Amino acid sequence: MNNLAIIETILRNRHQFFAEIRDGVELGRKIRAMLISSIAFFALYGAVMGSTHSLWQTLSSAVKLPLLFLATLVVCAPTLYFFNLIFGSNQSLAQNVTLILAAITVTAVLLLSFAPIVLFFLLTTSGYQFFKLLNVGVFTVAGLVGVTFLSQGMRVVSAGGKEGAGARRNVVRLWILIYAFVGSQMAWTLRPFIGAPSMQFELFRQLGGNFYANIFVSIGEILGFFTVR
Amino acid sequence: MNNQQPSRVNQILDLLVEEVEERMRAHRQPLPPAAPAVSKMPAPPVAPPARLAEPVETFTRPPAAPAEQPPEPEPEPEPLPVPPGPPHAARLMGRLALALLVAVVLINIPFNRYGTTLATALPESAALVIRDGLVVKEEDDERIYVYQDGKFRWISSMDAFEHFDFTWGDVHIVEDGFLDRFEIGKPLHVLLKCQASPHIYRLEGGMKRWIRDIATFEAEGHVWEDVRFVSCSYLRDLPDGETVPPGSGPPPQP
Repeated sequence: MNNLAIIETILRNRHQFFAEIRDGVELGRKIRAMLISSIAFFALYGAVMGSTHSLWQTLSSAVKLPLLFLATLVVCAPTLYFFNLIFGSNQSLAQNVTLILAAITVTAVLLLSFAPIVLFFLLTTSGYQFFKLLNVGVFTVAGLVGVTFLSQGMRVVSAGGKEGAGARRNVVRLWILIYAFVGSQMAWTLRPFIGAPSMQFELFRQLGGNFYANIFVSIGEILGFFTVR
Repeated sequence: MNNQQPSRVNQILDLLVEEVEERMRAHRQPLPPAAPAVSKMPAPPVAPPARLAEPVETFTRPPAAPAEQPPEPEPEPEPLPVPPGPPHAARLMGRLALALLVAVVLINIPFNRYGTTLATALPESAALVIRDGLVVKEEDDERIYVYQDGKFRWISSMDAFEHFDFTWGDVHIVEDGFLDRFEIGKPLHVLLKCQASPHIYRLEGGMKRWIRDIATFEAEGHVWEDVRFVSCSYLRDLPDGETVPPGSGPPPQP
């Protein structure tokens, strides 16, 4: 329960939180607390998503959703660190990871706050495509707020080094784009998270197609242009 | 009397303040037994007014020292103890997480013998993704269909249903008229044969229909993978239906 207290600090007193990261105060404790909180929240949200299909899908999504975010973090963190280093940042890798984890934790908190709404639609509608798009929308909103938080944090943490500050801001913007692409591809690789009602449970589905084409197809079916076959 | 009244009130207030401070100090750190010292304190010089007599009598501390005397050095105020447990928002989040966990468990508990859960209880037709292998059954129709190559095909018997490895868990109940929107293809039959006989029969409506020759077999779109081997006695027990093609004479028995 004490690990949740860090969320209060992140949400209510973010400038102090960023300042502590800048000064390298208790980074290990922060990383541990944020990891525990975000994994728990992602797992819960994943379980809600998977409940539309079966118990196995519920358990699978509860494991895969935290994995999705943590794997994306592992893949993307070195890029941010080394690019920042090139453009004059004096941050350590631990500071970078703490900042990205803070953004991920904010995303996790927002997902948790959306979970009752998603649960409501799960129990009152049966449109698979609608439910899929609803979740894409929720993830988009939560993700955007998360990366905005990261952007603010980067400004505070790297406020000391004036040299290359503009370039570092651009690096962060570019990195956010990369993060979004890697995240969406990772989600596509680890799918299904919801599970199509007409299909048996699968831990992983065959690769093929891509995330964006699938979203367009789903929108097309909801608007009545065609049936997904 | 009027001149003395403010000083008495001041004395009482001083006593009150001192007592409150004393109690706060006692809360922060237990004091050593100080009863004797307190008992040695002289009584207040002026009796308080009658209506305030009782509360003031409970005071055992003397009135505050006169202004001329140097005030006693007060101990450094200690920080108030932090209440244990996470703050409000974090606690709320913990409760929300717990409530969601309970909800997820509840909606995944099957409430009938078919394994239906609250999360999957809604009519499924709106949620279906039409794709090869999808098995559906209209609510008021016994027939079960499978989607193959852009068409729904009727699975003509339970033998065929089992032969193609379908289970009841695969069957999605849809509303009546759902299949009207789709093209219906040829029925999906299972072909039966026993080891001791060269003849192949098509099981249809609980009856065996003899397929006259290989040319007919292929013309009907059958493949060898659809042939299921059963015992000859089982085949003999099945009633004969019309031959394939019709009018090919009396069917041979296996």
